[in-house]
Amino acid sequence: MDLTLEQRQLLFTNLTRADVYNQMMYRRMMQGKLIGFYHPAEGGIAPGVGACTFLNQDDNLSPHHRGHGIAHMLCKGIDIKYYLAEHTGKVTGCCKGRSAFHFSFPDHKVYLMSGFIGYNFAPVVGWGWAAKRRAKAQVVMNCSGDGSYGQGRAHEALLMAQNWKLPIIFFCENNGMSIFSTATEMHPMPDIASLADGFGMPSKIVDGQNVFEVAEACLDAIDRARRGDGPTFIEAKTLRFKEHDIGTPDLSGWTERTEQELAQLQERDPVKVATDIVLAEQWLTQDEIEAIRESALKEVAQVEAFADESEIARPPVDELLRAVFAD
Amino acid sequence: MPKLAMAMNEGTVVEWLVADGAFVEPAQPLAAIETEKVAYDVESPEAGYFKRLIAEGETVDCDAIIGVFADGPEELSDVDLGKLQASLDRGTEGDQQQHQASEPQNASSNQRIKISPIAKKIAAESGIDAASIAGSGPGQRVVKRDVEAAIAATRQAGLPVGAVLARVNLSGLRGQIAQHMVQSLTEGAQLTANWESDVTELLARRASMPAANADGRRISVNSLLIRALVEAVRQVPMANACIEASDIVLYNSVNVGIAISVEGESEYDSGLKVGVLHEADSYSLKEIDRQMKSLVERVRGGTSEPGDLSGSTITLSSTAGIGPPGLMSTPVLNSPNVALLGPSTPIERPVVVNGEIVVRTMLPLSFTFDHRALDGEPAARFMRVLHDLLESPAVLFN
Amino acid sequence: MTARTITFIDAIQEAISEEMRADDRVFVVGQDVRGAIFPHTAGLVEEFGPERIVDTPIAESGMYGVAFGAAQEGLRPICDFMFGGFTYVTFSEASVTTGQYHFLHGSQRSLPLVITAGVGTGQRLANDHAMSIHGTFAHHPGIKVAMPSTPYDAKGMFKAAIRDNNPVVIPWHMGIMMLKGEVPDLSEDYVVPLGLADVKRAGTDVTVLANSLQLQHALRVAEKLEPEISVEVIDPRSFVPFDLDTVLDSLSKTNRLVVVDEDWESGGFAATVSARVMEQGFDLLDAPVLRVTIPNMPVPGGYMEEYVAPNPERIEAAIRQVCA
Repeated sequence: MDLTLEQRQLLFTNLTRADVYNQMMYRRMMQGKLIGFYHPAEGGIAPGVGACTFLNQDDNLSPHHRGHGIAHMLCKGIDIKYYLAEHTGKVTGCCKGRSAFHFSFPDHKVYLMSGFIGYNFAPVVGWGWAAKRRAKAQVVMNCSGDGSYGQGRAHEALLMAQNWKLPIIFFCENNGMSIFSTATEMHPMPDIASLADGFGMPSKIVDGQNVFEVAEACLDAIDRARRGDGPTFIEAKTLRFKEHDIGTPDLSGWTERTEQELAQLQERDPVKVATDIVLAEQWLTQDEIEAIRESALKEVAQVEAFADESEIARPPVDELLRAVFAD
Repeated sequence: MPKLAMAMNEGTVVEWLVADGAFVEPAQPLAAIETEKVAYDVESPEAGYFKRLIAEGETVDCDAIIGVFADGPEELSDVDLGKLQASLDRGTEGDQQQHQASEPQNASSNQRIKISPIAKKIAAESGIDAASIAGSGPGQRVVKRDVEAAIAATRQAGLPVGAVLARVNLSGLRGQIAQHMVQSLTEGAQLTANWESDVTELLARRASMPAANADGRRISVNSLLIRALVEAVRQVPMANACIEASDIVLYNSVNVGIAISVEGESEYDSGLKVGVLHEADSYSLKEIDRQMKSLVERVRGGTSEPGDLSGSTITLSSTAGIGPPGLMSTPVLNSPNVALLGPSTPIERPVVVNGEIVVRTMLPLSFTFDHRALDGEPAARFMRVLHDLLESPAVLFN
Repeated sequence: MTARTITFIDAIQEAISEEMRADDRVFVVGQDVRGAIFPHTAGLVEEFGPERIVDTPIAESGMYGVAFGAAQEGLRPICDFMFGGFTYVTFSEASVTTGQYHFLHGSQRSLPLVITAGVGTGQRLANDHAMSIHGTFAHHPGIKVAMPSTPYDAKGMFKAAIRDNNPVVIPWHMGIMMLKGEVPDLSEDYVVPLGLADVKRAGTDVTVLANSLQLQHALRVAEKLEPEISVEVIDPRSFVPFDLDTVLDSLSKTNRLVVVDEDWESGGFAATVSARVMEQGFDLLDAPVLRVTIPNMPVPGGYMEEYVAPNPERIEAAIRQVCA
């Protein structure tokens, strides 16, 4: 489906914000100002923005762990300051500082995170099942990487989603890497989307560096799901410009990715791609582009100030023990 | 040193990218860092004057301080790295102190008796010595029924069952004293007579004497009593004797045994030693006093010399100043002596002097004597001599 | 109101159906639950329809995912694994992701789901079908674990589990499936709260802690040993939270404890009880706490099961040993 001008401008704005947030997270990690680890999203921010910009508040979202789901969540209207506070161990964090890096914004239907790749596949089946039962045209956007489709539970989810025609979009952000492993080495087929064929699920492959192309495909899939026509598998071919997580060497297999290799990837920088398009198509002026970036920088500065000014969470053990069970 | 990756333990500052003390901007590259796996530039988190605290090529653990910021260059001159690091570490260690490990509620005992916890508890509460109970549990473990049986047996024997305050063993000094007392009471034919002597004049005279010794203390009343004993023995030599096997042995010199209280072995028991002032009959009053006081000091200080604790021929055991005024008692003979004088605390009494009732200071005296050696008549004469000497004490002060 | 006598497994069925009638959000998801491979789901699909009694393919992660995701979305699922050992197929979701959800995500939401399955020895089916799961789940924080031993407790505890806003693992022992017992009249809606132990038989000489099939064994042994040894039998009923107070109260009377646990000796729940009793009730003990457990071997099938698993003979021997 064709995007409106407003939709295109919104996509560009979200992409810019995602870019600024990602750079902030990278910088803070280098400054020792983050708890835990960070999986940088350089080169891979467009798929999440394309998939999530047009979700409703009551649509379920399982964000990808790359970029710690920030690109995905900001599209859904989630206030990232509570996530950064969590990532810096503060009492104001979305998980009260208990989790190091987990996001949880239940009011926006982002429920949980876990350290096990593929943890999302079990819950999304349940969300889809509940959504179908509720029959309120609610959808489930499940974002995960190529590596996650090695999990058996991913296949179980595909099976059950297609079987019951659950309103789930299986959004695979295929950047060809899982830590040091390449998708070409770890998957028998060149496209992850071919898994969907085995279940009779419709699928589409898109250029993950082009946020607009991603968004168009996702809107189609979302509409399909809302109509009750079942799940869709969308594979966004994207790229990873940096290492898997900061501090880990950037290897492919067991040898370093070369400067040459990386330089080649960077020619398809998603912000550059989008900027070229919006200027060429005259969807935005240069001034407007700069204003959007200025606004994003201000936004992120405020988010950082909130996190940095918040108090570190150090509750007594008793209080934590009481929090194990709900009332 | 930021921890840039989970697997990162330490980093090396390969090259400082800013001068020491230079002003830096946020995000300005500060140092080129190398870790076990990769190389990075650390970017400045702040604006400020930056002091480099480690040298190029130095490797430190993650979270170790490598540099410090200040608002002004002069603040950088005396930076205490140790203090900074300590305050950083305290912040992270504080959490660990909040965590309570689950600890056992009871400390383990040093005893190596095989006994169950409940049996041990009941035994302790009932004042029963666990070591004295035979165990009927597996491996001769003392179990609850064994302790309960022991309690029942104790009740049977008419003894109290309850928490014991202290247990003083009848060995050591207490045992010696106990044995001596029993022996004295069962072997002799001792009896005690009590009377009071008017010591108003004696005390007045004593008070008016100049300080006897270098330490400024006056002559002790006991010294006067020892002088009185020496004089009385002249009249009744039989009082200065010991029963030895089948003989009563009378002695030339008067070796006065002096009952001295000493510390016991616990906070509850006391000890008693009899120091001996040999040849009291050869000394002046002052000398008696001096000798007696140093004897007491030696005995109490544990530095007694040979002869200090044996060889008495007559004993003085005073409770003056300790017991209630006018105390009458029945002291036990210091066997093998045949006589013991036991004065106690003086008391003011109305007495008849020259037909008139006056208030006088009366010294209560108990005299225990062994009837195997001294019959009533010589004993009474001895007491009379003492009494007269105490009431007309001029002789004693010579 | 008249009491009725029903079987243990029927009591579970009553609990599930009554809760489903009372609350639309309750549903059952499992494999072959519509056809009721075990009687506790018999008649349910006929009454509530396949929308609420859901069969899935043999895809435990997907199956449990239905329950997990639905619980996050405000429904109240009962996920039936058929046999306890099958929870291990999706153990990551069922233990780690489940137990940590409420706590790690800032106590924002709860996870009101029930996991159940058949467990226990007695059918000679060997490890995969006989293993217990309460010990393993009790090890993971954030999950309540309980097991009923009588029809009365089964109905009341399943109701409590379904109404609890936390994940509750409540397996049922296949060896007492047909055990008959009294339950109140159908008009009485009663709940047996989780977290409370129950003194099933009073005694003075020794405390025996036993659950499910082993409770029945312990009661038999207690009956046999009276009046030589007076045995107090306590059913823990819940493993998390565990009612240690009731055990300590009993110990202040008997001073001796035997823990019977149908689980392996190494690392099982009996070891936890033993450690806690030692820490908090050391002075009450007249003998060390003894455990009667499955020795550390895969549960054998065939006739070996009879003497390898805890049974009345081994329970009696332990009682005699602790009273020596």
